[in-house]
Amino acid sequence: MEFFNSYILTLLILTPVVGALVLALLNKEKAETLRRTAFGFGLLTFVFSLHLVARFSSGQSGFQFAENHAWIPAYGIRYHVGVDGISLWLVILATFLTVVSILASWKGIEKRVKEFFIFILLLEAGMIGVFLSLDLFLFYVFWEVMLVPMYFLIGIWGHGRRIYAAVKFIIYTAVGSALMLVAILSLYFLNARATGVYTFDFPIWLNNIASNRLWIDPHIQNWLFLAFFASFAIKVPIFPLHTWLPDAHTEAPTAGSVLLAGVLLKMGTYGLLRFNVQLFPEATRTFTPFIITLAIIGIIYGALVAMVQPDLKRMVAYSSVSHLGFVVLGIFVFNMQGVEGAIYQMLNHGISTGGLFLIVGMIYERRHTREIAEFGGLATPMPRLATCFMIITLSSIGLPLLNGFVGEFLILVGGFGASIARAKLYTSLAATGVVWGAVYMLWMYQRVMLGEVTHEANKSLPDLSGREKWVLVPLILLALWMGIYPQFFLRKMDASVSRLLNPPIVMMVQK
Amino acid sequence: MMTFDQILFYALAVIAVLSAIMVITRRNPVHSALFLITTLFCVAGIYLQLHAEFLAAVQVIVYVGGIMVLFLFVIMLVNLETLSQERRFNRQWHIAILVSVVLLVEFGTIIWRGKAALQLPANQPLMDTLTTNNSEQLGVVLYQQYMLPFEIASFLLLVAIIGAVILAKRRLSSDGK
Amino acid sequence: MFNQYFQPNDILIIYPELLLALFAMGVMIIDLFLDRAWKVLNAFTALVGIAYAAYALYRLKSNALNLSGYNHAILNDSFAIYFQFVFLIATALVILISARYLSIEGENRGDYYALILLSLIGMNFMVMGIDLITLYIALELMAVSEYILVGYLRTNRQSNEAAMKFFLLGAFSSGILLYGISLLYGISGSTDLRVIAQRLAERPSHDPIALVAVVTLTAGLLFKIGGVPFHQWLPDAYEGAPSTITTFISVAPKAASFALILRIFIVGLKPLETSWVPVLSVVCVLTMTLGNITAISQSNIKRLLAYSSIAHAGYLLLGLIAGNEYGITGIAIYFLVYAFMNIGIWTLVVAMRRKDLIGDQIQDMAGMIYKNPGAAVLMLVFLLSLAGIPPTAGFIGKYYLFASVIQTHHYVLAVIAVLNAAISLYYYFRVVVVMFMSEKTDEEKMTLSPGVLTSLAVTLVFTLLIGIYPEPFIRFAQNSLSLFQ
Repeated sequence: MEFFNSYILTLLILTPVVGALVLALLNKEKAETLRRTAFGFGLLTFVFSLHLVARFSSGQSGFQFAENHAWIPAYGIRYHVGVDGISLWLVILATFLTVVSILASWKGIEKRVKEFFIFILLLEAGMIGVFLSLDLFLFYVFWEVMLVPMYFLIGIWGHGRRIYAAVKFIIYTAVGSALMLVAILSLYFLNARATGVYTFDFPIWLNNIASNRLWIDPHIQNWLFLAFFASFAIKVPIFPLHTWLPDAHTEAPTAGSVLLAGVLLKMGTYGLLRFNVQLFPEATRTFTPFIITLAIIGIIYGALVAMVQPDLKRMVAYSSVSHLGFVVLGIFVFNMQGVEGAIYQMLNHGISTGGLFLIVGMIYERRHTREIAEFGGLATPMPRLATCFMIITLSSIGLPLLNGFVGEFLILVGGFGASIARAKLYTSLAATGVVWGAVYMLWMYQRVMLGEVTHEANKSLPDLSGREKWVLVPLILLALWMGIYPQFFLRKMDASVSRLLNPPIVMMVQK
Repeated sequence: MMTFDQILFYALAVIAVLSAIMVITRRNPVHSALFLITTLFCVAGIYLQLHAEFLAAVQVIVYVGGIMVLFLFVIMLVNLETLSQERRFNRQWHIAILVSVVLLVEFGTIIWRGKAALQLPANQPLMDTLTTNNSEQLGVVLYQQYMLPFEIASFLLLVAIIGAVILAKRRLSSDGK
Repeated sequence: MFNQYFQPNDILIIYPELLLALFAMGVMIIDLFLDRAWKVLNAFTALVGIAYAAYALYRLKSNALNLSGYNHAILNDSFAIYFQFVFLIATALVILISARYLSIEGENRGDYYALILLSLIGMNFMVMGIDLITLYIALELMAVSEYILVGYLRTNRQSNEAAMKFFLLGAFSSGILLYGISLLYGISGSTDLRVIAQRLAERPSHDPIALVAVVTLTAGLLFKIGGVPFHQWLPDAYEGAPSTITTFISVAPKAASFALILRIFIVGLKPLETSWVPVLSVVCVLTMTLGNITAISQSNIKRLLAYSSIAHAGYLLLGLIAGNEYGITGIAIYFLVYAFMNIGIWTLVVAMRRKDLIGDQIQDMAGMIYKNPGAAVLMLVFLLSLAGIPPTAGFIGKYYLFASVIQTHHYVLAVIAVLNAAISLYYYFRVVVVMFMSEKTDEEKMTLSPGVLTSLAVTLVFTLLIGIYPEPFIRFAQNSLSLFQ
């Protein structure tokens, strides 16, 4: 157990990698064995991640389970990982959704099964690594590593214009992360010049900033902020950098869409919260009105565009733009409710949008089309699927007692109480997004599920299979749990979030 | 006022450059070869002005005497008819001239504008030209001061010979087919 | 026998080169006695020569000799020794892949290996030389060997044409270089770079002659590394040359030319830094951008890699512009990395040369994942490394170069460079698309000889190892910092 406690994070990153290696050695013809192995490793990682929840001590604001080893000592690059209240649930989300997406790909992926699961597991390792890294160099490495498996998932197993979507995805994100690399390196040298210590270590940087040992000129801070922001904003995506997202989401296979929407987008918001806000406090203040404006445009624009989409999956994709706008808003209102709401909404979005993509995937597997006009009255042949769909739709809209409500409510409360100019106006505008969300989701549900069966092909569609139930039921249970008893989740965030909002004053140390 | 030495130098230099231009613009290879000989002669003349008599002699004997004669042999053996028919320049020569003129102007302005800072090293006597033997000096420089480059040059010659053999073999094998 | 011009340990300093020369001639002589079927022994002889030279070099590194020799014509410091190791590694890998390729082309002769070894000697002197005459002769030795090797396929028109172009432009650039050298000699009265640096420092800052000398030197040297606007020869030469030779000239001579540039600019022309940094910055931006943008539209893998190598030359110039410890270490480690990843990818291109198929179109790789899954995965690793994606070695190299310019506050350059790196993903991944996402067009598998397999194994292991655990390699590359002494 002692070993487990001290190396759990490394274990979390390595288990999927080992799984990928094991898969690589298996015979590619035995699809069933491959699926089971992949599932086994996914589940194992998830179980390990639950250990984090069990042993996480809620009162502590710092990083827990930290591991800190020299990697490239010549330049102060370290393997430093740790988890706090902000990243804890995101890690769980990543491991959980990986298991779900492996299950969801059982039938849908027929060709090149082996490679598919290898890429899924590698992607998982990358995602976990991003949330855990506390060394900016390490963070960047994981950030980039993740691109490659996602690229292949979209490019090989996607639909229609998959290669176009994959290339667009990788170029957009690569441009963003390239700028981030420049900013990371600049900070590295700024820190070294100010303190004489060459390090990429995030907690050390934070300490130096808090104690004023590292003082960054506001002008430079603005540029660095923008470089980080470019990378994260593309990932989120914040309007107007969102144009890669509908393509990538729509063309990706179901598992890819689930992980993309469920976890990858959260890396953007996580990055904003963890790095932008904490490293550049002055610049954050400067850019807050601008970012909030973009977030609100994103909320409304995403909702309006989602409303007119004829393609089911594209609609869900645009709804992501809208929901992520809420998250960004929550982060930048800067109070306890807003930030916790934002983190909570990240989890909600992972579950509800992940669920929506899963259901769209299931319908697609049956009908091989995603045109809303092709459907209608699907509830008649598939009552169980319709029920699940309803619950997840409601969770996405933010109905009380379901998870979405808690997140949106917290963000809006945070927004009204925020100490920024015109907070009430901003928040009211954002609140209309909730209404729009309800409109397009319910309208979509009505057109797809309710009414008479209009198409002959839809009459004999089979209902949920056993495996599909196993995919959806945990999601629905989680949505209920998070909606009814949010305190369980929020409690573990409290300490870290309040530390983030009120950084402890470190005494100035004279050199 | 220019001294006779300077006049001679400029005359030789101008002739050398002009005939070098002629070398690459003549259609007839024999003419090119003859102009090349003129250039080499002018350079030998400049060597003489620098009191490098031995070098001047070597220049004339080796380049003008040996290599150029070889050149002319080759030219006469190759089919001249087809050579003079082929286009000698591709269509980019306009651009080439443009670039050259721009460069020339550029260098000219750099030197002109920086005239104030232009400062050449004081005229050093070219060793004891009158007391020591000219070829002896060359020997010292070549075999002592620059011994290593001289040795490396022997490898360069080896490579050149290998290259020549490969080229020669190529002709044989393509004739054989 | 000994005097100030020739010391006993002078011979010891150039011991590796003497061994190489011995083996170069040995290969040619042994070749005479070999039957057609036994020509592969030539490669073996050459490899033994390289092994001996590497051992001699290792001894040289560990014995603390007075490493300046031949009346200060050469300086075999740890900078030079580091680069010589890189050349030896690259050359050994190239020889490994050459034997089978040459026998397919029907040109399996000993002089090929002799020329490679002789150009290796030239490169070694290029990094050792501290005297302009030595440097120039060494450069020519390398270059002339290259010209011949590029045209080595006697019956192949493209190879001949490439050699001709390469030779003419190469000779022209050497002339320009020589002009620059003569100007430097004219204003400083010495060919020793250290003396030149002293004299230049004494001269007024905007000395026009010095400026012209810098411009001409830069032009001549940029040609050798394929910097824009002196890059036009490069794609033609890379495409036309025998693939193994392209492998060779894309790595070792490029590294040698860069080492030469470092020596000249950091040691000799340091006093004129303010005038060459802006010039090189412009060249660097042009080289990266043009290389990457042109690479996007290529359909021939050799040309694509040629343009990518132009772009890489641009990244490398960043290290020179920064001119600090990060930059020099960056260039040094980049070439070590580049040796492995570039030779790796070219080895695969060589292996695609089959009896009846040239195999140099990107389309020829269609569906490679079905035919040769191992090769496809290797190709992916090398492409990722070229693109600079962690955890491959290429990332470490790029990281250093980008970091170096950020340290010297060249932020604009850094941003342009990273954006270029992002653009380059586009064409590297185009190859990936063809390999992994298109259907196969033919059934023919690759020709993988033992030599090719060895080369692939070595390059793969190091491409990943340097990426994951770079520490020892960085320490190794820091040897190059002796340049500043």
